[in-house]
Amino acid sequence: MRTEDHRDWRLSLGAYALGDLPADERAALAAHLEGCAECRAELRSLEGVAALLPLADPDRIEAPAVRPPADLGARIEAQITAESSREDRERRRRRWRLGIGGAVATAAVAAVLLLVALPIGGGESSPAQQVRFASLPKGVSIDATLEPHAFGTEIQMYVKGIRSGTLCRVFLRGEGGRTFSAGSFRYRWGSDSEVRLSSALDLSQAAVIGVHAGDRTFTAPISSATAMVSGAGIDST
Amino acid sequence: MGALTKERDVRAAYAAHSGELYGFAVRSLGDAGLAEEAVQETFLRAWKAGERFNPEIGSLRTWLFAILRNVVIDLGRARASRPRVAEGGVEPSVEPLEQALLAWQVEEAMRRIGEDHRRVLLETHFRARPYAEVAEELGVPEGTIKSRVYYGLKALRVALEEMGYED
Ligand SMILES: [Zn+2]
Repeated sequence: MRTEDHRDWRLSLGAYALGDLPADERAALAAHLEGCAECRAELRSLEGVAALLPLADPDRIEAPAVRPPADLGARIEAQITAESSREDRERRRRRWRLGIGGAVATAAVAAVLLLVALPIGGGESSPAQQVRFASLPKGVSIDATLEPHAFGTEIQMYVKGIRSGTLCRVFLRGEGGRTFSAGSFRYRWGSDSEVRLSSALDLSQAAVIGVHAGDRTFTAPISSATAMVSGAGIDST
Repeated sequence: MGALTKERDVRAAYAAHSGELYGFAVRSLGDAGLAEEAVQETFLRAWKAGERFNPEIGSLRTWLFAILRNVVIDLGRARASRPRVAEGGVEPSVEPLEQALLAWQVEEAMRRIGEDHRRVLLETHFRARPYAEVAEELGVPEGTIKSRVYYGLKALRVALEEMGYED
């Protein structure tokens, strides 16, 4: 075997493996293969791939690559965030010793579900309120826990289902209609869906909590009741 | 990446593999809407079963494809196209879905190799055009066509190996 021959034959191995070599060349290469272990080994490694080619469709190969829709990742993230924040909420409810009786109130009955929590210690009353925003777009959920402090109101907010990157500005509105900012955050999929915010408005004065999310605004009424109240809170005293 | 339990792990996995998973889902389901559903379900299942992912056993990619395969089956693809009995009454050894996955991988590997190599393999092998004709069309010597077939096949092998192919 001369080296130049070997090099030439080697380049023909692809066509040979694919069965595309003219008959005369094929016979000559077969003769070379008899005496060249290196070419035989190379041929074996090409034959495995060559055998797979008939599975492929040339038109599909040349068709423009399909890409998932740009918002698919966000939808998946929203779903996962929803599932995980549901678990978080379950944990939180246990921690606050809160039981939400029955299903979430229907939107027709109540715009908001109010609960006053007892702290774990049980002793002093430091009532927190849990607010669930109703009438949200499908897939979106916003919950907030409001806690009174000397400085105003502390807000823990749990958001899911909105587009990642959306700027959210949170506010409280007093009974007189004046709005107090509670700060802003950017909702990101993959990060913790819980944010902590604060507002200068006293919880006892707060009538509405709202979120400007992108170009939409969502609001929910806040009960000013400080007694332990649970339920839809429309007519209850 | 370890177990796929954090949302940010899922996000990274999505960034790395959603294109391929979606490509295969479209290929096997033949419907973009169903494919989206399949990919969404795949990542949800991956996240829920994240504890069970062990990078020492196999790649994340392989694991995700295995989940997607099950999702596609659940979506009814398997029922819609049961293995046909081949001529001579012999059951084909490969399930249609496995074959679809293999076919998709070969097509994907073909897309990944260099344009020159892909072009020559497409024209000479898939479209069975004579080397001389393709050489003239591309303005290169016939020997170049032959060597591109050779190097193209080798590149294809590397691309397939990157996707987990073994002899
Ligand atoms: Zn040789």
